[in-house]
Amino acid sequence: MITLSINGRKVEVQPGTTVIEAASAIGIEIPHYCYHKDIGVDGNCRMCLVQVGANTRKLQISCMIPCSEGMDVQTESPAVIKARKGVLEFLLINHPLDCTICDQAGECPLQDYTYRFGPGDSRFTEHKQNKPKTVEFSDQVMFDGERCILCTRCVRFFETVRHEKPLGVENMGGKSLITLGPNGPLTDPYQMNIIDICPVGALTSRDFRFKQRVWFMDFADTVCPGCSRGCNITAGAYQGKLLRFVPRRNPEVNKSWMCDDGRLSYKQYNLDERVRGAHIAGEPAETGAALARVSELVGDGNGVAVLASTKNTCEELYALKAWAGHAGIALLWHGAASWAGDDFLKLPDATPNTAGAQGLGFVPVPGNRPRLRGLIVAGDVAVPPALLADLDFVVLQAPVAGMLGAAASVLLPGRTALEKKGTWINAQGLVQRIRPALDAGPGVPEDWTLWRDLHGGHWPTLQHLQSEMARVAGASGGKVEQAAQPAGSRP
Amino acid sequence: MSALTESRVISARFGKPQSWTLASYRADGGYETFLSVLKTKKPDEVIAEVKASGLKGRGGAGFSTGMKWSFVPKGTTKPVYLCVNGDESEPGTFKDRQIVEMDPHQLLEGVGITCFAIGAHTAYVYLRCEFAEGLRKVGAAIKEAYAAGLFGKNIGGSGFDLDVHLHMGAGAYICGEETSLLNSIEGVRPYPRNKPPFPAVEGLFGCPTIINNVETIANIPHIMKRGAAWHAGLGHKEDPGSRLWCVSGHVNKPGVYELETGYSLQALIDGLCGGMRRGKKLKCVIPGGSSSRVLTADEVRTVTMDVPCMKRVNSSLGSAGIIVLDESVDMVDAVLNLMKFYAHESCGQCTPCREGSPWLVKILSRIAHGQGRPQDLELILDIADNMEGRTVCALADGACWPLISILTKFRHEFQAKIDAAARSGAAGAPTGVRAPAGAH
Repeated sequence: MITLSINGRKVEVQPGTTVIEAASAIGIEIPHYCYHKDIGVDGNCRMCLVQVGANTRKLQISCMIPCSEGMDVQTESPAVIKARKGVLEFLLINHPLDCTICDQAGECPLQDYTYRFGPGDSRFTEHKQNKPKTVEFSDQVMFDGERCILCTRCVRFFETVRHEKPLGVENMGGKSLITLGPNGPLTDPYQMNIIDICPVGALTSRDFRFKQRVWFMDFADTVCPGCSRGCNITAGAYQGKLLRFVPRRNPEVNKSWMCDDGRLSYKQYNLDERVRGAHIAGEPAETGAALARVSELVGDGNGVAVLASTKNTCEELYALKAWAGHAGIALLWHGAASWAGDDFLKLPDATPNTAGAQGLGFVPVPGNRPRLRGLIVAGDVAVPPALLADLDFVVLQAPVAGMLGAAASVLLPGRTALEKKGTWINAQGLVQRIRPALDAGPGVPEDWTLWRDLHGGHWPTLQHLQSEMARVAGASGGKVEQAAQPAGSRP
Repeated sequence: MSALTESRVISARFGKPQSWTLASYRADGGYETFLSVLKTKKPDEVIAEVKASGLKGRGGAGFSTGMKWSFVPKGTTKPVYLCVNGDESEPGTFKDRQIVEMDPHQLLEGVGITCFAIGAHTAYVYLRCEFAEGLRKVGAAIKEAYAAGLFGKNIGGSGFDLDVHLHMGAGAYICGEETSLLNSIEGVRPYPRNKPPFPAVEGLFGCPTIINNVETIANIPHIMKRGAAWHAGLGHKEDPGSRLWCVSGHVNKPGVYELETGYSLQALIDGLCGGMRRGKKLKCVIPGGSSSRVLTADEVRTVTMDVPCMKRVNSSLGSAGIIVLDESVDMVDAVLNLMKFYAHESCGQCTPCREGSPWLVKILSRIAHGQGRPQDLELILDIADNMEGRTVCALADGACWPLISILTKFRHEFQAKIDAAARSGAAGAPTGVRAPAGAH
């Protein structure tokens, strides 16, 4: 271990740790633009300059220099404060300062650092450098050359993470410009990540831009429901409508990235029509009456199967299983959906909690199965048509009724993945917490309460259910993730 | 003033008929040193000899050549490369061009000895594309050397192999920065690299690499032929050797002159250079290529041309590009001209240089065009302070040093323009010149 001091505070680090990492470990934020935890060091922005020892003339970039024994680092010395102010002034002189119409405003490190470290006014009275604006890098990504501070994070994302070079820098000096390569618009299925890592409003999402100012939005730190990778995300909503997903850094799962399909999948959770309240044979009914009807239909449970969506949380599946056991239902199936995975984050299992379902004893729908009398469908799941043949009854609990809902003997409301609280277990066995980004509104109770109420209701709250799960060994099986960072932290 | 005569070492063969051919070079004993070094010396002995000679790099930084060579990690399993820096683009510097055009074999013999010393079997000679003649001459010389068995496999039966490649740059000033040069050879955007790692440890293609200036390498055969003591005895004892001085500007006979270090700068101007043009008075000299700090006429009278003396007057010998300016020069225009160069040649990697140098051009343009404001001079100095020492490479420093020194030593000329602007009412005119020519 190496011991050094940062702003007079002693810190012990492993050899090879850089100063910016050491400072971050003891909660000292050194402002930076080009450095990014998941694409590495470049050293061009000069924002993270620190003073080492007494040398005030040759300040060093803290993203680059390794810690050494006895090093004395100052991040707030007069020389550093002046240099940082100088860098911010340089970054701003040719920047359009169009925060009022810029989508990045409110979550912009250039704006934030200027407030914290920058000059309050500008000494620049010349004409600004003009550069191309509204350059379509692809159907998803829009580029504004004037807002760009040339940190080259976007260029380096493709180089280091995707091993391709669709972007580069053209021209030199003050005319430098990020530009598309000879192969034209971006095609990479992870291209929208460059929007998140862009520290200014130079790269904006054509899907999200001009939709809403971020300070009016509500955010939830949750997990992408798109596949069993379980990329950590921050879901952003405004007035009950989801407007975007952005990845949230978790070095154990998705680092700072997510696929564009997952990112844009938020749209399917903005429901125009949904099931509110219970229905018996298509007619609205009291929930209590509907649940009583379910118990009546299930009877001794013989010849009845449960088909659960693997978008259900562990808690929902646990409550469902508890009721099914109580009701004598022995057949617990799950309906994981699949899509084409890829070689990076996207896994073929397009549902987030298959591992959780399997841990609780739910199995895939078997090829040869006993003749069924009835089927309980829990959650948003594609039901194989063969399963529906010759049934006496179907109970559907789901956010959207669809064709099956119209035919269901009992229809119960359900919440979407973005309205739930609980945990999912991803493909690597990590238990991850999900949090609601939207309010489901009236007539849509939490899914687990339905199964609780069906068999008498042991758990007054979700916490009670979770403590019981924790007591029952093997109920969830995975380790609870710790590594995810909350929204707003800067990798 | 004592009359100076040139000490022709590097330039000894300049001007001879067909001096660039192998036949002419061998007739003068060329490559004998290389072949004898291969047979009789160990690499460490060559490095020790060059260290003892006191040779300092001729590219600008003036670092001890032998010391640099010794930084190649001992027993490295990676290939070692030599890159010869012929991207000569420092304004006021035109000495390497003479070497590659008039005596390319002298350079190539130095390449051979250097590669042997540092354990390199591949060398790149990097020349800027504007050296069309030099590229032709060096290209032809390499072919001749291969044909004569001086390069290639098992040179002279010594078992030493060496391949020499000629690499043409595209004329960017920044490619003369040694790590930019490496990136340029690798075919990526030539941004300077962060150091450490230094090239001697991790350079070209991630392998140990020594980068030396053309003139530095051209010195090597002479040192190995005549011995370290001979070289150490030339000129100033702390900065020994014979250098090519490039004199440009308002002298009667501008050109490249070879002199031992330690001579009086004033004597060079008055003697070999034939004095000031049209009998004008000397105003100032930029002594080491445009990136060095300016010397006033009074300072010029006191200085000698060696590193220690230049250090004493807070300037540098750099690449020995001596730019002589007479009393007719408007220093605002002069410094604007320089800043346009740096703003144009800034690679754009680091924020302070990319943004600061065009800003300086815009302010200086305004002052030059009679729209200066009283606060502009302090602003310029503060911008320079925010640039200097804040970037990956020394380009920003190179822009700031002449700027700060000219502004400090000739402040009255700037002030006069600003005062005139105030009188005319043009000061504070909103933004000055719309797009300063060449500011890019």
